[in-house]
Amino acid sequence: MKTFLKILLASSLAISASAKEIKLLNVSYDPTRELYTEYNAAFAKYWQGKTGDTVTVSQSHGGSGKQAQAVVNGLEADVVTLALAYDIDAIAKQAKLLPADWQKRLPNNSTPYTSTIVFLVRKGNPKGIKDWDDVVKKGVSVITPNPKTSGGARWTYLAAWAYALEANNHDEVKAKEFVARLYKNVPVLDSGARGSTVTFVQREIGDVLLAWENEAHLALKEFGADKFEIITPSLSILAEPPVAVVDKSARRHGTTEVAKAYLDYLYSDEGQDIAGKNFYRPRSEAVAARYAANFNQLKLVTIDGEFGGWKKAQQTHFADGGTFDHIYQP
Amino acid sequence: MKINKLWLATILGAQLTFTSLAADGTTDTNRDADIEALKQQLRELGQKVQALESQRAAEQQAATNIANGQIQELDQKVRILARERELDQEAAAALAKTQPKLTVGPGGLTASSADSNFVFSLKAVLQVDDRTFLDGSGAKGNDGLLLRRARPIFQGTLYRDFDFVFVPDFGGSSVQIFDAYANYRYEPWAQLRVGKFKTPVGLEQLQSDVNTSFNERSLVTDLVPNRDVGVQLWGDINGGVLSYAVGIFNGVGDSRNTGNVNTDNNGEFAGRLFSLPFKNTDIAALQNFGLGVAGSSGNVSTTAAGLPSTTGGTLPGYTTDGQQQFFAYNPAVGAVQANGNHWRLSPQGYYYYGPLSLLGEYAISDQGVLNTGTGAQAHLQNTAWEISGGWILTGENASFNGITPLHPFDPRKGQWGALQVVARYAELNIDDDAFPVFSNPATSASAAQAWSAGLNWYLNKNIRMNASYSHTTFTGGGGAGATAPAFTTRQPESVFFTRLQLAF
Repeated sequence: MKTFLKILLASSLAISASAKEIKLLNVSYDPTRELYTEYNAAFAKYWQGKTGDTVTVSQSHGGSGKQAQAVVNGLEADVVTLALAYDIDAIAKQAKLLPADWQKRLPNNSTPYTSTIVFLVRKGNPKGIKDWDDVVKKGVSVITPNPKTSGGARWTYLAAWAYALEANNHDEVKAKEFVARLYKNVPVLDSGARGSTVTFVQREIGDVLLAWENEAHLALKEFGADKFEIITPSLSILAEPPVAVVDKSARRHGTTEVAKAYLDYLYSDEGQDIAGKNFYRPRSEAVAARYAANFNQLKLVTIDGEFGGWKKAQQTHFADGGTFDHIYQP
Repeated sequence: MKINKLWLATILGAQLTFTSLAADGTTDTNRDADIEALKQQLRELGQKVQALESQRAAEQQAATNIANGQIQELDQKVRILARERELDQEAAAALAKTQPKLTVGPGGLTASSADSNFVFSLKAVLQVDDRTFLDGSGAKGNDGLLLRRARPIFQGTLYRDFDFVFVPDFGGSSVQIFDAYANYRYEPWAQLRVGKFKTPVGLEQLQSDVNTSFNERSLVTDLVPNRDVGVQLWGDINGGVLSYAVGIFNGVGDSRNTGNVNTDNNGEFAGRLFSLPFKNTDIAALQNFGLGVAGSSGNVSTTAAGLPSTTGGTLPGYTTDGQQQFFAYNPAVGAVQANGNHWRLSPQGYYYYGPLSLLGEYAISDQGVLNTGTGAQAHLQNTAWEISGGWILTGENASFNGITPLHPFDPRKGQWGALQVVARYAELNIDDDAFPVFSNPATSASAAQAWSAGLNWYLNKNIRMNASYSHTTFTGGGGAGATAPAFTTRQPESVFFTRLQLAF
């Protein structure tokens, strides 16, 4: 009997020690599909070379706020790569799936790449849109998603607000009027950035798309530079999309180690290069220099400097009863 | 066109006037002045015509521009409406995903919350059997139809990780609760089950009632516990490569289904380790090869309830495939009770590959007993083993968890379901020390050997029909007596079984 038990145990341990097939779920925001498709393949190759294990990463995309709520409601993400820190804060606060100080766990406040908000117009720029003032003119049709559900839309809203503040000696009332005029020009509010791109590019609605920089470049690449132009406004906002391991879910799946490595690798040369190739601004200066030609220089305000951080910005502008609810009537 | 005609008429008129003046012979000076005046008039007229034409073109262009603008505006409005409709449809589809789901299918009736965190399922098992005892002479079991199992199964999930199962049985002669437990799934490898459920010892016993090869389990199942009330920690490691279960139970006699309360102040530990060592490998032929060992141990206060089941007789004992008791604790003097330690050990294994199925199990049940009449005590070590096999004739894959026909029964399409042939051999040996102090050798057999063969017809995933023959011979017993075990052991038992099973 002892011999039998020894054989049984040894067989089980031998099988357990062999190469594993690991599955990860990355719950991300709307426009990162292409970035993570390329990155997942690179990471799987790297991880297999390092450990022999096979990693398959599934992706889930949607408006950042909606995605965060889905995780809170039980979508078992191993990692989240969302549009803004507030959405991951919500997961930490409401579902307690990761610690409140999650942002300190990785360099650069857990944002391995950055981006900003630019304008995408139709070829020839028929409405002569050069800056935010042109976007709010009567008769200009503007496409941007709903800030209630989309992280990109919240960055856009705040970029417009920051421009209006600067143009009006930090007069909050005038800034509010300015942004209200902007949303009067919006005929369709999609729930996410990719939806707005579809509205503008494929459904041919609107004169200007207020877009993530990477999304605007991607539209140019996918649909042709002969159809669209990117306009860089004089001022925009430094968008910092953060990443985090969802501790409890990863622990539950036994994927904590791989999930951490998955996010760490975003900071590697290869990870940064893939970010740059997909029109995100890499954190690595060396890699950023390689892709400098893709990114126009402009004045960038920050969420902390201009709005006192995401918590305050969310409460003031996007929470129920906030400024956005006052200025936008569907 | 109107302006062009006016211009032509003016030129013709001017020429006629000029000719007429020349014919009248007026002075050259006057004539030149007149001509000049006429030329001037002509120039002015030409300019007017040009101005009119330009104005008309500009008006036409303006009208075209307005029309184009309106068309573009309308086009945008139509596009916006179409996009809004598209978004509404997307929102409706997303909303539908948040609505509760109701499904009806081979798995029963299931209601589930949108996120599947709350699930309620209604399933059922109905087994209608016929047993025909073929020995024509001497005492034998009763022929006839039997409602073997009639069980509604209520099961579900609460808050994603908490499962529950409740199974009453309306078959047999009384209503009983068979399973009633809650299970917490922290991880697949760490689960906690509390309530009444199968004690993790016998392999064949742990196989679902609807998936066993024959109507009745083999002799080896006589030596393992049926269901008991307890707490069990269990789980599947590495996707089921290794499964474990360890728990503490009230403790029940061999083959007994507890009466829901403890019969003494003692408990029983039970545990099982089972491995499918090649499950995650690419060796298909070995992926469903499993080996394991299970056991239990506990003290039993002096009580008859700690002895085997009374099924098939009036005293505790062991039964044949035909559910007749061939051994009983029936000494000539006194009565027998369980007393002291009771342990079991059961090495076990199975192998499934394609249509082939093999299942083998060995069990030892070592039980302390007391003859309350004589005061004699002993530890009796009864043993049993079985090997069973099957082959599916219609190409389906066999598995421990049942068979799904590739072509469910539908004569209109020429489909007839799945057919499986099965065979089994089993033995049970009673400890020699049982006789005569704890059992009467004149009536109780000291061993039983049974072989069986059968044909199982799976019409579809839910409906199955069985037919099998079982022949059991006995060592010892066979003496006079009108009740079991004497009438059972008097001759070999030959039984023809049939079953109609409905399970979903």
